[in-house]
Amino acid sequence: MKTIKTIIYSASLFLAISCTGDFDEINTKQQGFESGELSAKFFITETQFNLYAPSRYAYWRAHLIHSDRFAGHVTFGHDKSWWNDGLSYSFNGGYTDAAWGWYSGYFGNVKKFLDLTKTGGEFDNQNMYATGLIIKSLYYQMYTDTFGMIPFSEAGVAGNLTPKYDDQKDIYIGIIADLDEAMALIGSDTKTGDGVNDLSDNDLYCGGDLQKWKKLANTLKLRIAMRALGATGESFATAAINEAIASPLLDNGTGSVTMEKDVKIGQWGSAAYGDVWTSFGAGSDWTMGATLINTLQNSSDPRLASYASPAPGGEFTFDSDGATADYQEQLDFIIANLDNANAVYTKTISGTVTTVTVPANQYIGQPTRLNGLIKPMVKYDMFSKPSDLVIQATGKGAPVYSEIILTSAEAYFLQAEAAVRGMGSGNAQSLFESGIKEAMKLWDVSSGDADTYVASQAAANITTGTLEEKLEKIATQRWLASYTDGFEAWAVVRDYGYPSELAAGVSNPKIFELGTLNGNYPQRMRYGSGAQSNPNYAQAVSAQGADVQGTKLWYAKN
Amino acid sequence: MKKIKILLFTVFSLLLCTNMVGQEKSISGTVTSKTDGAVLPGVSVVVKNSARGTETDFDGKYSIKASVGDVLTFSFVGMKSSSVTITSNSSTVNVALEDGDNILDEVVVTALGISREKKSLGYSVANLKGEAVSLAKESNVVNSLAGKVAGVVITQSASGPAGGTRVVIRGNNSITGNNQPLYVVDGVPVDNSGIGSANGSNTSEYSRSDLGTGISDINSDDIESISILKGPNAAALYGSRASNGVVLITTKKGNTGRGLGISLSSNVSMQSPLLLPKYQNQYGRGVDGAFAADLSQLKSAGSWGPKFDGSQQLYYTGENRAYSAQPNNVKNFFRTGSSVVNTIAISKSTENSSLRFSYSNSKMEGMLPNSSVKRNNFNVRASSKITDKFTLDTKVTYFLQGAKNRASQGTEGVMAYLYGLGRNVDVNDLKNYQDLTQGYGVISSTASGGNPYWILNQDKNEDFRKRLTGFAKAQYDFNDNFKAFVRVGTDVVDHQTENVTATGHHFTPEGAVGYSTFDTSETNYDFLLMYNKNINDDFNLTANFGGNALHSTSKYSSIRGFDFKIPGKHFIANTDPEKLRVSQSELVEKKVNSVYGSASLAYKGMAYLDITGRNDWSSALAAKNRSYFYKSASLSLLLNKVFNIESEKINFTKLRLSYANVGNDTGPHQIVNLFNVASNGYLGNVTVSSPNVKFSESLRPEDVTSTEVGFEIKAFQNRLFADFTYYSINSKDLIFNVPVDPATGFTHFRDNVGEITNKGFELMIGGTPIKTDDFDWSISANIAGNKNKLVSLIEGQDFFQFTSNNSGTIDVRAQVGEGFGDIYGTDWKRTDNGQLLLTASGRPQATSERVKLGNYQPDFTGGISNTLNYKNLSLNFLVDFRIGGQVYSGTDSALDAGGVSTRSLEHRDGITLDGVWDDNGTLTPNTTSITGQQYWGAVSGIASEYVFDQTNVRLREVSLSYKFSSKTLSKTFIKNASLSLTGRNLFFIYKKSENFDPESSYSTSNFAQGVLYYNLPTSSSIGLNLNVKF
Repeated sequence: MKTIKTIIYSASLFLAISCTGDFDEINTKQQGFESGELSAKFFITETQFNLYAPSRYAYWRAHLIHSDRFAGHVTFGHDKSWWNDGLSYSFNGGYTDAAWGWYSGYFGNVKKFLDLTKTGGEFDNQNMYATGLIIKSLYYQMYTDTFGMIPFSEAGVAGNLTPKYDDQKDIYIGIIADLDEAMALIGSDTKTGDGVNDLSDNDLYCGGDLQKWKKLANTLKLRIAMRALGATGESFATAAINEAIASPLLDNGTGSVTMEKDVKIGQWGSAAYGDVWTSFGAGSDWTMGATLINTLQNSSDPRLASYASPAPGGEFTFDSDGATADYQEQLDFIIANLDNANAVYTKTISGTVTTVTVPANQYIGQPTRLNGLIKPMVKYDMFSKPSDLVIQATGKGAPVYSEIILTSAEAYFLQAEAAVRGMGSGNAQSLFESGIKEAMKLWDVSSGDADTYVASQAAANITTGTLEEKLEKIATQRWLASYTDGFEAWAVVRDYGYPSELAAGVSNPKIFELGTLNGNYPQRMRYGSGAQSNPNYAQAVSAQGADVQGTKLWYAKN
Repeated sequence: MKKIKILLFTVFSLLLCTNMVGQEKSISGTVTSKTDGAVLPGVSVVVKNSARGTETDFDGKYSIKASVGDVLTFSFVGMKSSSVTITSNSSTVNVALEDGDNILDEVVVTALGISREKKSLGYSVANLKGEAVSLAKESNVVNSLAGKVAGVVITQSASGPAGGTRVVIRGNNSITGNNQPLYVVDGVPVDNSGIGSANGSNTSEYSRSDLGTGISDINSDDIESISILKGPNAAALYGSRASNGVVLITTKKGNTGRGLGISLSSNVSMQSPLLLPKYQNQYGRGVDGAFAADLSQLKSAGSWGPKFDGSQQLYYTGENRAYSAQPNNVKNFFRTGSSVVNTIAISKSTENSSLRFSYSNSKMEGMLPNSSVKRNNFNVRASSKITDKFTLDTKVTYFLQGAKNRASQGTEGVMAYLYGLGRNVDVNDLKNYQDLTQGYGVISSTASGGNPYWILNQDKNEDFRKRLTGFAKAQYDFNDNFKAFVRVGTDVVDHQTENVTATGHHFTPEGAVGYSTFDTSETNYDFLLMYNKNINDDFNLTANFGGNALHSTSKYSSIRGFDFKIPGKHFIANTDPEKLRVSQSELVEKKVNSVYGSASLAYKGMAYLDITGRNDWSSALAAKNRSYFYKSASLSLLLNKVFNIESEKINFTKLRLSYANVGNDTGPHQIVNLFNVASNGYLGNVTVSSPNVKFSESLRPEDVTSTEVGFEIKAFQNRLFADFTYYSINSKDLIFNVPVDPATGFTHFRDNVGEITNKGFELMIGGTPIKTDDFDWSISANIAGNKNKLVSLIEGQDFFQFTSNNSGTIDVRAQVGEGFGDIYGTDWKRTDNGQLLLTASGRPQATSERVKLGNYQPDFTGGISNTLNYKNLSLNFLVDFRIGGQVYSGTDSALDAGGVSTRSLEHRDGITLDGVWDDNGTLTPNTTSITGQQYWGAVSGIASEYVFDQTNVRLREVSLSYKFSSKTLSKTFIKNASLSLTGRNLFFIYKKSENFDPESSYSTSNFAQGVLYYNLPTSSSIGLNLNVKF
């Protein structure tokens, strides 16, 4: 009996105690690092590219499907497309959730970088912290301009699982405060440190150049303040604008802040338009928006060939036999669009068949928001596609457009607007011209062509006209310069109401998809379904207005 | 906790030190088969009304201690039990058992492989003979449990042969954790984790593939018996993984008696679709009642054209074709599936050892063209009695499987390109899927670009599995009262997949190829000390004490190449090296150490008390929460004996009470957050990413508590029996990725939250209404109901979403105050007073908010099985049913939108809906007419139209067997022979859904249940089975 007892006790003791010795070790993942084994600079890179070039899922659903299309730059809804162009103008829960998931989920990236670099953090470095604050500001501007009220002041506060949603006004004030703090921290420093403490190439935006970061921050402050200007109850914009224009901004010396694309990383690491264009089915292809193409074409804009490639053209037949009652109206619309693009074409009618022949090498945009009824008549080859640079397949060694973070052009346009509004001492026309030239540089337009444009085109001239006319021209140039940066372009349309053709929305249900917006221009995106589990969601909706796409955001009112 | 542990140890110590009393003596003997006189090893010999028992050895010999007046019961699966009373002069008791069934003195295998008299158990156990699963064969053996065991919900993933199956016993207890039972084969747990997206937490509806799970690798011909220990009560000795119940499988040993035995089993069956969607055959492709204007319009058109008239019209190939219906175009895509399974078993017993070898070969050709599964199964079982007291028992099983074209399911799966085919499209034309003179692109009848023949012939979807399972067990019998064994068992799986999307594929035109390997292993080392003693005339005590060390590992690696340089051949070197994707995991390990003990006290054959205790130390939890204890107690009271009721009519009444509490840990590497370095960086810079899920060191095991009350009665010479169980299971501290507002910096926190309850009943009634010498009929019916409730989740969070569809019309969630698996979706948009609120153009609209439309868990499940024996002929049939529970069919929605369903005939000629539209605030009656296409286009986005009741009754299984009489065979060298005609899933007796099998699923995981998108049809199977023994 004793033996048995000894066996039992020793066996249990053996199992229970001596064998758990390696438990912590085997339960710790070996293919992972603790922060102490790393450097802070490794963290900034993903934080940066995830904001402008995330994986295909977000790039496709948040960027292309929503922002770029709402901006009117590109469209679906041609006969080869999987969708009519009403997609997302009619609320789509799945795509909305995907976009919300990306926007809201991004926060963890920047919070982690801030936590690691803050005073007392693992890598305590105030300059890195400052760059983190600026990235956070870039992010929040995009995020709040898409949804409106979102958690800001209580975001990332330890222990708070249900942060409150802040008013957009307070978020703007908060962003400006963050930017001011960042600029103050940077002071006159030029880099974040030496060796592994120097962000250098890991910093995809400014290559570790802190003074460029500072100008980026100041330019962003100017953008935010200008957007807030005149919105209900704001009292900070004028002061912020004056502060910003009195300090160094991005200019023709610094150039624009852009992010070179990694074309080897693969679409699930960081996507480019070309990944969707070449690696997805042909039904995902998009065409150029008519408003964009016509605006460029009407002012002989030298960027046209950089933005888009000409329509392939061809012979297109339409048959009224057995067609719906709206056939003629729809056909007339298609032909009117060719006229609006000043396209050369021939039209012959034989019995019930109308044949339209469109020669190649013309730039023809596709009207946006077309419905499913007209879709079969919207012939893919009749319209311009994005230029090769924009839709270049990745991994082929060929260059791909860079992502726009914030342009020097924007700095000039904002200063020009300040000048036309009588703020500061700048010369509005020369600032405006500098802005256009900087914007054209991004697309490798020769300085001669840029000079010709600013010298000859009314679109580049704000020396005459009413304030509203000048603002329209500035807004239009900002909208043009934001090609591939649909977030900003869409915000410009909502803020200024230009291009008015887009801002007006659509009304003819025979041609257009009125959608859940009843034809109105989308003013925001709905929150994702995941947001509704935060009890503060309800409070946000009651303060801001119904959680629908038509609810105007604070800055866009008035 | 501590107290209970101390108590337990004290009980043991007491037990071991007490001087035992009783007039016991040793009884020994040999058990043989009455039919052929062969000795029977493995026969359970138990002292009736005690918890004491043993088994016969390889020579059919046994030895047991019993007192005068005790009754020894001899039982063996497939044979009638026999009882012998010990008299003062009996020391040798030889028994010959008859073939047949027994109901009363059933002996079942319980936890730790211990055979017990069923009546002594205070919890419910269901058991099945091997024949019940091997006759009407299923390629995944657990599918055969459907309808036979009360309280078990079987959901087969509709993925073709040898796919996975979701088994849920007594409801779902964990939200994101495993809800499926633990499978134990011959005492050794089998890793049932599945590989393939159907088994993971992937929630997308696009494409799910199911490569089967561990249990689908078991050869049904090797199964001797199956015991199902429902719920934690029965399973408290198996540890965390058993909190959802245990399926204990006992395989065959060499038991044909002295000398050589050879048995052959051959099974051939044919499969065809049980149910395909119902199609209309009046209208072909077109738009709003008109022909398509040109090819591009035609390719994006549904079947919304004019009525068929046979006229020459544009066809998707660009030619003109007769415009007429192709009524069987979907059906003709399928071929008759076939399955051929041959098993040979050879066994040889000598005086001190036995050996059984079996080899099984299966070849299954799926109903989809070019799809197949091939299997080879080798099994060796050897036992040897090395000395009188020392026995060695070993088994090795080697399993090889190769599968080709297991169909992916979902909106981008193979069926997505078939079910919606235009009604005038001949499916045979799709066999021309590529024209190399025109480039590599896929030729499709639709704008979306897919072609099912391309997917099955041009792309590649293959997987291979090698599985080695085995154990070695050494038992030492110190004396008749005290025995002990040590055992090591292992289950090693090597799984490889190969996938190709060929150049020209509609989604990846440049093509891609991927290889992956998954290696898993699980090794269990255990020992068990077993002690049995009659304390006095009234009390008998059995005690077991054991320990187990579990070590599991997994490793994964994959390589994927994109963009074939030279199309046509598919291998990595032929892809773009810049785009190569490689991933590889470390060896992930988990260890759980356990000690456990059980004590069973039997009183005068009328009351049985069992207590168990177990402590686990899991490596998956942080040090402070690593050790956790759980326990169970159960009581069985034979009421007729307790109250001394002697009745001619009532033979047996029993009351069961039990309580159990079980912990449930988590997977490895879930405690410490680490940063991951990206394999490719960005522009050559090192990049590090931060986790989205915040882990917590304070994670505790989940806590499952179950109570159970049961009542059994047997009457009229055991010709009638009934068994009723009520249970209540409460799961707390669920380990869970709690979705948090991403503004916290994380998308999820890993935490212990919430509470789920499952309450339900199980009722089984059966009997033998007719019994004559030549004919008998027995019937058994069962029904079970389960009510599940999510009591709480986390402060401020009232639901967890498992899945939502791409268009956002539907989601499946666990909703606080309601259930696990609630289906929420859009409904018809109405005004406050209930009128349809239409758009200005007269179309119906969906609400933007989702409302509750159902729940995917059935309310009741059950079955009725009948066995009729006439002389050598035996007929079995099983009708099973499911009542309640809903499922959303994305397929039906798509078929209506595409105008191909019979339902889309409604309103074909247009309709002016009775409703109002909002004219700038004024509700104006609708006068606008819309076309059928517009109507169904809008309705297909209203989820409430596509939530179907799962209620159905079907003829699940039929078998007609003829057993050649021993007289006929006596002049031949054949000992035994039987021939059976079998059928499975033959037809629905009743169902509410029109177009699909409401019990099918495209996933076995907790995610994506309750929704169906383009599943493969369930197969209906007819087969022939021949068993011969030499």
